[in-house]
Amino acid sequence: MLRYIAQRLAAAAVTIWVATVAVTLLIHAVPGDPVRIMYAKFQSTPEQLEAVRTSLGLDQPIHVQYAMYLGRLVEGDLGRTIVGDQPVLDVLLARFPATLTLAVASLAIAILVGMPLGFLAAYKRGTWVDIGAMLVAIVGVSMPHFWLGLLLLFFFALQLGWLPVAGSGIANLVLPALTLGLANAAVLARLTRSAMIDIFDQDFVRTAQAKGLPKTVVLYRHALRAGLVPIVSMLGLQFAYLMGGAIVVENVFAWNGVGRLAIEAVFARDYPLIQGFILFFASIVVIVSVIIDVLYAFLDPRIRYG
Amino acid sequence: MASAAEPVHAAAGTPASRSFLGALLRTPSGAVGLVVVAVLVLAAVLAGVIAPYDPLRMAAGPRLAPPSWAHWFGTDDFGRDVFSRIVYGARLTLQIGVIAVGISLTSGLLLGLVAGYASGWTERVLMRLVDVLFSFTEIVIALACLAILGIGLTNAMIAIGIASIPFYARITHSVVLVERNKPYFEAAVAGGAGHLRLIFRHLLPNVVPTLIVVGTLGVSTAVLAAAGLSFLGLGAQPPQPEWGFMLSSSRDLISRAPWMMIFPGVAIAITVLGFNLLGDGVREVLDPRQRQR
Repeated sequence: MLRYIAQRLAAAAVTIWVATVAVTLLIHAVPGDPVRIMYAKFQSTPEQLEAVRTSLGLDQPIHVQYAMYLGRLVEGDLGRTIVGDQPVLDVLLARFPATLTLAVASLAIAILVGMPLGFLAAYKRGTWVDIGAMLVAIVGVSMPHFWLGLLLLFFFALQLGWLPVAGSGIANLVLPALTLGLANAAVLARLTRSAMIDIFDQDFVRTAQAKGLPKTVVLYRHALRAGLVPIVSMLGLQFAYLMGGAIVVENVFAWNGVGRLAIEAVFARDYPLIQGFILFFASIVVIVSVIIDVLYAFLDPRIRYG
Repeated sequence: MASAAEPVHAAAGTPASRSFLGALLRTPSGAVGLVVVAVLVLAAVLAGVIAPYDPLRMAAGPRLAPPSWAHWFGTDDFGRDVFSRIVYGARLTLQIGVIAVGISLTSGLLLGLVAGYASGWTERVLMRLVDVLFSFTEIVIALACLAILGIGLTNAMIAIGIASIPFYARITHSVVLVERNKPYFEAAVAGGAGHLRLIFRHLLPNVVPTLIVVGTLGVSTAVLAAAGLSFLGLGAQPPQPEWGFMLSSSRDLISRAPWMMIFPGVAIAITVLGFNLLGDGVREVLDPRQRQR
């Protein structure tokens, strides 16, 4: 088990290391002069631009820049934003709780709606219940997040007046979480259905049925338990998918998370903030997937000893 | 010689493609998907004939007019005809799908083929890199590309194409892993076939069916992603009749002109659904194991 965790951690470290290289190279891939692009809106003299170039280390050879970047990173310094001149890490950390709240609430909705729906469809395979559930799911998968968001906004906030249109309070969480949660519930329902169908076809379920165990015991004690294992393994990917969706949904509902910040940064061409965001986001996704993989190994001994 | 060979070739090719189409039409999802995609292609090709107005013409009708006989889907805040804009939008949408999937499919295919064929260190390094990119998630890679290239619809298509390369590389690689251990491939290696022949004559044809399925499904992902980027203002720019961008400009007018929000959304959802169903149908035809499900 320890060996497995060590392997996963090593893989995660490699990913984060590649991310550091990628964000250092990013600014050099920009066609033209990145400093001039960043400061296009400000009336800067050539001397001021030169000073910025020096302070960002862009006048140094690239390996020196990378070493400087790593050196600062170890001290938790991700540079300063171009807009507002604030520490990048502070700005990201200030916005992160909002994104995390949204992601967790959405994941809960996705699990509560998607898994029962997929389970029901698999159990009633081939019937109208199955076809209906999968129709709902494929429509859900095909619906753009932001459109679902606008529709919910239109009905619940504008027509019925039940919920606020935008903001960052608890009542404001309902619509964005529903939007992101329902969209992901559709994906999860499809995954759950196919995982459960595989389980229902297996011999141990047939044996349990054949020896006359009550239906509920076969369903919950045998099938569901076995079916949960592959589903949990997919939650890591789901979480990454959900974090990606959050970037769009935050912008629909003016939810002040890191996703909204990232879009603002791309518009403003605030490269230090974009670099910080990519590194931060990739690290979060990687860390969460390691945690889920380790949890999964606890659930499934074949992984632990395999 | 050539004239004698041609009819044989044509006679052999037509029934095969006809039977594929027939099999596709017999699957419910394939039939519905094919119809939706055909309608989309028709709309794109015949936009000039179908659309009653110029999609960019301001004051084609009164501003924010609700749906009527003159303007089936109403008009927007500039008095432009929403129906005409949606019909012309089909062109942009197809373009996005083809370009983005073209980029990711060809690059991913090459990466996966090379990694799977080379094996050893090349394979390990390439696939490790693919894994790393995969965990960055597509939207972050797309945002990074846009930060480099600058915003705009063409750049958004390129960004989406690049962002999906790891996905296609992974799938190609997994198919190659299976194929390279099959007897026919080992026989070809033993027979002394060269690298290029092994890759392009033996591996590639066996990867193609899977990639057709994944590529069809990939069009829907690309369309969704591009609409999302345009919605955020990073893709299509005014006055382009792009559906995601149309949705974003409807945002502040939802209560006054809900039709501006409803129709572009329906267009995106139906297109995505169409390609999803078509992909499911193609998979059912190409992979008979799925049919038992």
